[in-house]
Amino acid sequence: MNGPLIVQSDKTLLLEVDHEQADDCRRAIAPFAELERAPEHIHTYRVTPLGLWNARAAGHDAEQVVDALVQFSRYPVPHALLVDIAETMDRYGRLTLSKHPAHGLVLTTTDRPVLEEVLRSKRIAPLVGNRIDPDTVAVHPSERGQIKQTLLKLGWPAEDLAGYVDGEAHPIELDEDGWALRPYQKQAVENFWHGGSGVVVLPCGAGKTLVGAGSMARAKSTTLILVTNTVSARQWKHELVKRTSLTEEEIGEYSGTRKEIRPVTIATYQVLTTRRKGVYPHLELFDSRDWGLILYDEVHLLPAPVFKFTADLQARRRLGLTATLVREDGRESDVFSLIGPKRFDAPWKEIEAQGYIAPADCVEVRVNLTDSERLAYATAEAEEKYRFCATTATKRKVTEAIVRRFKGQQILVIGQYIDQLDELGEHLNAPVIKGETSNAQREKLFDAFREGEISVLVVSKVANFSIDLPEATVAIQVSGTFGSRQEEAQRLGRVLRPKADGHQAHFYSVVARDTIDQDFAAHRQRFLAEQGYAYRIMDADELLAEG
Amino acid sequence: MSTEAQSAPRSLAESLRGRDDASLAALLRSRPDLITPVPTDLTQLATRAGTRASVVRALERLDRFALQTAEALAVAADPASYDELLGLLAGDDGDPVVAGALPRALGSLREQALVWGGDDRLRLVRTARELLAPSPQHPSPTGLGPAVREATAGMSPGRVQEIVATAGLPSTHDAVSAAAALTALFSDRVRLAALLAEAPEEAHAVLARLVWGPPYGQVTAEPAAHLRWLLDRGLLLPTAPGTVVLPREVALHLRGGRAHRAPEPVAPPVEPGATHGPQVVDSTAAGQAYTALATVEELLKDWDEGGPAVLRAGGLSVRDLKRTAVALDVPEPVAAFWVELAYAAGLLASDGEADERYAATPAYDEWLEQPPADRWARLALAWLAATRTAGLVGGRDAKERALQALGPGLDRSAAPEVRHRVLTLLAGLPEGASPAADSVLGRLRWERPLRGPQQEDDLRSRLARWTLSEAELLGVTGRGALSAHGRTLLGAPAVPEPHPRAAGPGDKLPVHRRPAAPPEPLGPAEQAVAAAAAARLLAPLLPEPLDHVLLQADLTAVAPGPLKRPLADVLDVLADVESKGGATVYRFTPGSVRRALDAGRSASDLHDFLTAHARTPVPQPLAYLIDDVARRHGHLRVGAASAYVRCDDDAMLSEILADKRAAVLRLRRLAPTVLAAQSDPATLLEGLRAMGYAPAAESAEGDVVITRAHAHRTPPRTAPEPVPDGPPAPDATLLTAAIRAIRAGDLAATTPRKQAPAAARGADGGLPRTAAAETLATVQAAVLTGEALWIGYVNADGAASQRVIAPVRVEGGFVTAYDHTADEVRTYPLHRITGVAELAEDET
Repeated sequence: MNGPLIVQSDKTLLLEVDHEQADDCRRAIAPFAELERAPEHIHTYRVTPLGLWNARAAGHDAEQVVDALVQFSRYPVPHALLVDIAETMDRYGRLTLSKHPAHGLVLTTTDRPVLEEVLRSKRIAPLVGNRIDPDTVAVHPSERGQIKQTLLKLGWPAEDLAGYVDGEAHPIELDEDGWALRPYQKQAVENFWHGGSGVVVLPCGAGKTLVGAGSMARAKSTTLILVTNTVSARQWKHELVKRTSLTEEEIGEYSGTRKEIRPVTIATYQVLTTRRKGVYPHLELFDSRDWGLILYDEVHLLPAPVFKFTADLQARRRLGLTATLVREDGRESDVFSLIGPKRFDAPWKEIEAQGYIAPADCVEVRVNLTDSERLAYATAEAEEKYRFCATTATKRKVTEAIVRRFKGQQILVIGQYIDQLDELGEHLNAPVIKGETSNAQREKLFDAFREGEISVLVVSKVANFSIDLPEATVAIQVSGTFGSRQEEAQRLGRVLRPKADGHQAHFYSVVARDTIDQDFAAHRQRFLAEQGYAYRIMDADELLAEG
Repeated sequence: MSTEAQSAPRSLAESLRGRDDASLAALLRSRPDLITPVPTDLTQLATRAGTRASVVRALERLDRFALQTAEALAVAADPASYDELLGLLAGDDGDPVVAGALPRALGSLREQALVWGGDDRLRLVRTARELLAPSPQHPSPTGLGPAVREATAGMSPGRVQEIVATAGLPSTHDAVSAAAALTALFSDRVRLAALLAEAPEEAHAVLARLVWGPPYGQVTAEPAAHLRWLLDRGLLLPTAPGTVVLPREVALHLRGGRAHRAPEPVAPPVEPGATHGPQVVDSTAAGQAYTALATVEELLKDWDEGGPAVLRAGGLSVRDLKRTAVALDVPEPVAAFWVELAYAAGLLASDGEADERYAATPAYDEWLEQPPADRWARLALAWLAATRTAGLVGGRDAKERALQALGPGLDRSAAPEVRHRVLTLLAGLPEGASPAADSVLGRLRWERPLRGPQQEDDLRSRLARWTLSEAELLGVTGRGALSAHGRTLLGAPAVPEPHPRAAGPGDKLPVHRRPAAPPEPLGPAEQAVAAAAAARLLAPLLPEPLDHVLLQADLTAVAPGPLKRPLADVLDVLADVESKGGATVYRFTPGSVRRALDAGRSASDLHDFLTAHARTPVPQPLAYLIDDVARRHGHLRVGAASAYVRCDDDAMLSEILADKRAAVLRLRRLAPTVLAAQSDPATLLEGLRAMGYAPAAESAEGDVVITRAHAHRTPPRTAPEPVPDGPPAPDATLLTAAIRAIRAGDLAATTPRKQAPAAARGADGGLPRTAAAETLATVQAAVLTGEALWIGYVNADGAASQRVIAPVRVEGGFVTAYDHTADEVRTYPLHRITGVAELAEDET
């Protein structure tokens, strides 16, 4: 009666982290419960049908789940909840997708009424073919992803036993010279490989690229890598050449400028989703080789059309990489059902504790609008309000003060509005990277920043992702894409690469007080706060007085 | 019973006379309706015991086997011997279980005075026989048809003789002896078997279809050969044109003598479905008990500031119930249960105001002060005794009116008894065993079967199902098994006696001894004692309230268990509840902090409060949040004023304020140049003028209002509708109706009446008045003669009228009659008829 776990009636689990059995408990509940929040004292997990089914898929049964809850629970577990868990898990596996020697892909059932029920659904009907016998129905191979997704929505998840194609073999080895995969990276690769397909969630700067490389080395087959933009594509290429046996010639770039298809091909989402006359001309990329592995970088940004293509790729192994699987559009479950369940997830603070990402000091600086600005803000149109308060002149002064304070360190100033960034660039005497900056120019500036030739860089949201700037130690965010939680996390991620001298990173978010900016900031910070990053709140006056 | 008189009794009264006091007491205990009022003598008692209402009541309380025994007696000869009865129940082959159970069943029938007479002459009380014997309108559960004697009673003697002849019997001189001969043939297993052996193949199929009932079948005017064969031999007898029946004797022959297809001499055991450790059961139940308390508290807190309105017909509207269910985060039926429970425990009631709403009662405040275990005991007590059943909520009553929570029509008098019975059955299982619901229901159905066809969801089964789920909700059971405190609540020892079935697998037929009588529900006083004992058992299992919370930087607070009351109350105001259960997760938001500030707490109060109750340091963002909200709190002030005084000269305003005469105007200084007044502008102007000032009125836009004598105007009004001369022209329908009414009235008024006794005439032209007895007699006579009557009638609104009616029948205090005035058949309560007079002979 004194366990570390409290089971709530809304199916959340509260884990007291300082409890002596906390680690055992965490291991016991991790297979079926999603970590939702990880602040300092009590972590919140949630039991969802999807989580329970993934646990079933991984070989856990309801008995184990119930035992884990009952064993660690501090208070009696509500009976209704246990019954619900058993019933939910029981729904898994009534239907299975498998390969039939004569009929190809088939959906079979052990419980005929269930099959009848799902076949009666309008959404299933177009996905299946002939009824082979009362318990079996043929499925069009191309609809494998679609039918899985639809069955999941109907509450009768299918167990997919149809397996994967191996793809065209291609030798890839990790080149572990002077470095090695970190334990959690190894674990992530193993979990992924064992599960077949899925998503690995690691904090920014924790080395997701290496998890990708490790997986490629396990697959030893041709690989298609999908990334967010060209700069990121180059970084992947650079990293792969450095860390694996692959050579420049083996890696192709498929982007707006180059269309190379090689054993390992890196393509951008943008080029894939380019649409001409209603068709996607670059889709054949998926069919251009017998890919053995498809890697989705920053899977939280996966654009909607790619979801659809992915549904057709169910026979290939898929690995999604992300730091923040929160989508403001709520399509997390599509990621899970099409790419695969979450195979590995490490709380940020845990990786930080192991020293693989830099500890960060997060500060929210609240600036006051001047009286005239307040009046202007009050009368601004609703859609202009955010822009107005986010670009207040006081933010410039605060930014300058922070830059002064960290003189000599590598500083990134990140913002949303180009005017504001240009103005800041002018005042700080720093170059600005924005959408219109050419790729060559961007790479030149990034290199200069890495080399320490430039110490302050002003960037727009083009630098939100996948830009590896290990030397940045201070990030100042002056404005953002409204309340985007993952953007905040990604921006913090820019400064989390471990520092050579092991010192702390600083993340400043400058916010206008008593405005919509403050509300958005609160929302943006939620993901990080739930990961245990405690924001300090400072008044601008305080900071200006210090600086 | 062993106390029967030596000589065989000749009537029920006589048999009662022969019973000793204890046995009479047993009768009265099982049929308490017999002593209200106390009968004067045994003859009266016997008469009363034979009345239909009382017998129906007694039959409804029989267990299945006793009822089957009574049913068998009803189809047996009257009187029947014990052996005949046994034959009917056990069949020709005998059944040791039935034979073993029969004495008990018969004993209970005798005890209840439904059966009397010695074993050689068992007689079922006549009313019971009538109720249970098969008839075309009320088929018997036995599925047997009428006996040959009854079925041939209406047939022509010639036809009967034909049948007798075809069946191979010598002809007799009258129909009665012919029926007797047929009966003898059909009751003789050997001879009937021989006869049936000759039957065509299809005839056997027909018999097989009818044998277990219903025994009636349809035949065409030209029956097929095999049917004709059966009809000719009396194996099927006609009852009505086109309908035939299988005579009882033949059916019994085909059934091997059994009156019931499946006699159920033994109560089906309640099978334990799953077994949990007693500790698990107790702690789960305790957890749920705590949840019950929290839920009731939450419910009433939710209704603290004006609960939902009371519907005009009483009860809670569907929408309010839905809202409550959402607020409590439970399904609606469960929400209805909590609401009804709080109501039954006297914790909530209607406030009785003009605009009636539900609210907590003063008893709720007392209840809150009690220790948790006592609070639970109070809820449990209220639940056990309540006749209101929340399970009915959302259904409809017999008149198709929706049943609302807290509304009328939810009382079911059987509820407490079923609840007690279900819990007692649970108590009969070993510790930690939870039964399958169906086995409990099966047992209950056996103990108190419904007469007539079996239904899946009769009231008792539904009550039992509700009892099982409600007991779980209330924490009387845990994981379906009765908890130790639940057992104590029933007045049973906390640990059950060793289970009788545990004796071994060989002990399969434990039925011959009479099972111990089910324990009677406790009296109110004993029940209170039992509840207190249960509360003592429960108390240590309930979680200890905590006095601390954990604060986190993501602006949440987690209370890792129930909180002490003042702490919980403050946190409820200061933060929003995000998740409930064993623990509570609170989230601080600017809105919630503002709420606390509105409640009169200062920022430093809040800081102190958090520091005092947090196990961990107060996170900086939380401290900042409180200060930030406090900084802005109360910055803007809102108040109400009726008028204001504005003046650029501060000194003059000070002067006015200082003036004693201004006190009545209730002025307050808002700013150096503004005063707010609580009196209206006109009074203010007058007051100031009286004080010697010369104020000017200001409009809402700030202009000076020029006052001069101005015409008084109403708000916008529409012109009156023109009123035409006389009513609108009537249409055809109205005209016909009017004419009919006039003619009918005319008939009533002008028909010359027979010279009736002066009293019946009433005041001239008034209503006829006659004594009630005379009214009845006249009306009855009119039914026979078919004459029309002139009556005075007072309707439900007290309006008197005269009508001419032709009575059709008089029964149950109502006259059904063709009403000449209304031109239709109507029903009049006799007591509303002031008097009757016969119509005079037609004079025209």
